[in-house]
Amino acid sequence: MGFINYDVNRYTPRQMVVIPLVLLILSLAVLGYNMATTGMPVTPGMDFSGGTAVTVFTSDSPDSLRATFSGYPLISIGEGVNNGKYLKFGPMDDDSLQSLATLIDERYPDAKIDQIGASFGETLQHQAAVALVLSFIGMAIVVFVAFRTFVPSGAVVLSAFADIVMTAAVMTVVGIELSLPTTAALLMLIGYSVDSDILLTMRVLKRQGKLDEKLAGAFRTGIIMTTTTLAAVAAMWAVTYFGNVPVIPEISAVLFIGLLIDMMNTWLTNAGIIKWYMLGRGTK
Amino acid sequence: MNKKELIALLKNWQVALLVILVIASLFLIYPHVEDEKLTTNLQYGLDLSDGTWLQMEFQAEVVGFETERPVGEFLADLQKKLDAEIYLVEEDKMEIRTFYTREQLETAFEESGGRLTSYEQGVSKETAEQVKKILEDKLNALGTKDAKVNPLTGLSGVSHYVRVELAGVSLSQAKDIVGKQGRFEIRIHTTGNATEHILYGDAINTVGVPSQNPPGSNSWGVSFTLTEEGAIQLRDGAIQYGATTNPDQHYLEMLLDGRVVYSAPLSPDLAAKLQVDPIRELYASTGTGQVALNDAKNLEIHLRAGALPVEVKVAGSGYVPAALSDYFKTMAVVAFIIAVIAVGIVVFLRYREPAIVLPMIGINLSEIVILLGIAAVIQQQLDLAAIAGLIAVLGTGIDQLVIITDEILHEGRVPSPNIYQKRLTRAVGIIMVSAATVIIAMLPLALMDLSTLRGFAIITILGVLIGVLITRPAYGKIIMAILSK
Repeated sequence: MGFINYDVNRYTPRQMVVIPLVLLILSLAVLGYNMATTGMPVTPGMDFSGGTAVTVFTSDSPDSLRATFSGYPLISIGEGVNNGKYLKFGPMDDDSLQSLATLIDERYPDAKIDQIGASFGETLQHQAAVALVLSFIGMAIVVFVAFRTFVPSGAVVLSAFADIVMTAAVMTVVGIELSLPTTAALLMLIGYSVDSDILLTMRVLKRQGKLDEKLAGAFRTGIIMTTTTLAAVAAMWAVTYFGNVPVIPEISAVLFIGLLIDMMNTWLTNAGIIKWYMLGRGTK
Repeated sequence: MNKKELIALLKNWQVALLVILVIASLFLIYPHVEDEKLTTNLQYGLDLSDGTWLQMEFQAEVVGFETERPVGEFLADLQKKLDAEIYLVEEDKMEIRTFYTREQLETAFEESGGRLTSYEQGVSKETAEQVKKILEDKLNALGTKDAKVNPLTGLSGVSHYVRVELAGVSLSQAKDIVGKQGRFEIRIHTTGNATEHILYGDAINTVGVPSQNPPGSNSWGVSFTLTEEGAIQLRDGAIQYGATTNPDQHYLEMLLDGRVVYSAPLSPDLAAKLQVDPIRELYASTGTGQVALNDAKNLEIHLRAGALPVEVKVAGSGYVPAALSDYFKTMAVVAFIIAVIAVGIVVFLRYREPAIVLPMIGINLSEIVILLGIAAVIQQQLDLAAIAGLIAVLGTGIDQLVIITDEILHEGRVPSPNIYQKRLTRAVGIIMVSAATVIIAMLPLALMDLSTLRGFAIITILGVLIGVLITRPAYGKIIMAILSK
């Protein structure tokens, strides 16, 4: 692959780790700032904050839609390609919801409706948070059991942690909300981002040969691995985003961002730490 | 590869297993043309098949308690104070069938001489099952063809929500059918227009379908039976208020949500019998003709399902129209094909050798076919999130094939069988660890009731398992056969 000219062996461990470390601190700052101002590290989507979303394909202008739904707590109207309109409503009681559903049924029978009550959203949010924590702990246990040495395992877990934190920060910056689908993507990232880290660690710890060669070999394999996944995810994103399909674009966008960040964390953070570890061990 | 080599390869059990599973899966998925549309045995989730989902929250709670008083007295006291139906679920746990906050209950418990020890909104498993049955009966009676009712039960055994999925029904219709659950009650006229409570819907045991009585008379009605307790309540009430001696002055009324849905006197025959014994088999007549038949149908629904034991509130809902779900399905297939092509291009750029790239893609697709085959067997619904999982499995599946290929190709092209086995083992080691992390990471999602994401988690976990157990070992054998040429 010609476009990647990075040579894992050119830099010292300290040089390698410094960039991701700065980015990690920045990311934590972004999430911390969000937490302080809004109470949530990442902007929660409708799944967690409650509300009603309506997807409809219509040539009606936003203004006429606004007039149609003037009796309901309409928050925003988004426009997509092919006349796709995304209407967001705030929380309302069962009766208003029923009359809204009836109105939509009459005017736009082909509209997709999603509604989440505020307290249900809170429950979902709580469960999603628990799922994230549990899955991270589970992943860390598997890694520690697999390698049984502290520094290499710690490096893998740290780089997975950095993946999640940085991805969450990028989500905030580019405006991807935390929803059920994006939570699923983050969970998947916890599982998959360690793929290349495990390859790297296994190759370096368990294979015979010079460290330089092992690192270069692992890098060659690792990059192609991540690139294939990136290709699948990018294709999935492009088709569904331009095709106005919900759910999948959010999942693939988060996976795409996460995998890019993972490339950096694997080949800078994790590779840096494991190189330092191996060099230190060699001199003893 | 010549014929002989191919046969030798197929004799390898891992390769043979893969081939058998792919063929079996194709049969299980069973793609065929029906009504000029390509149909398969795959189940689609609600965002890929038109219909509505409703998630409803039980307006009730299961609480733990302590009291020094006899439990019966304590409960009776609470029942009066809270004006709610209360049932003992376990020795120290009760179900309160009206919504109260923890604080409200704490006060009430103290005043009644007890203490609240735990609080969880929802109903006991038994009640949840009852609700499920009632809703299912009701939906089936209305002829809703594809209805699913699932209580979502937490680890503590308390169900907080019940989820209903209805194919081909719009959201407003669905809410009409399900969301507004009534409370069924039988009352009896005392003097003038005043009425007294006799029993609630839970005293009704079984309900028959509309029938003619006598048969062939075109005079319609619905038979139903009461529980033993209910029968006694009815007899006592009828005697107490004089319905047995003067039925025409003391009509029996059936109410749904306080609205009268049926009102009639006891038949002279029944009145006489009730005077002597509790009667469990009853028949509510609605008159003669087509109108009476329709009335009887409605009455049946009211009797059968009018009464949910617990009030429910809509917590979340959604609707996908048919046009959109068909479109999503098409787009999902397009996304999948483009993803396969994209992955193929990347792998080709790396190896520039069709003899490696084609088996890789082939194995990858076979993995997806087997995954879909299993999904068809276990009736796992495919929704948009699950499709995303499927495509991600495609991307990561290739990853691991790359690991195997690179391990084997490491230092020179053709390793001896001995070295090859060693390298394959090492590659499988890497794959096992990363597969374990994915499975562990997805497990919480598969086990929790984050409803819509379960499909995603289950598909991902299955995909990883199939890859590790079946397709990757087979790929190892195949690629070895190809490379050693």
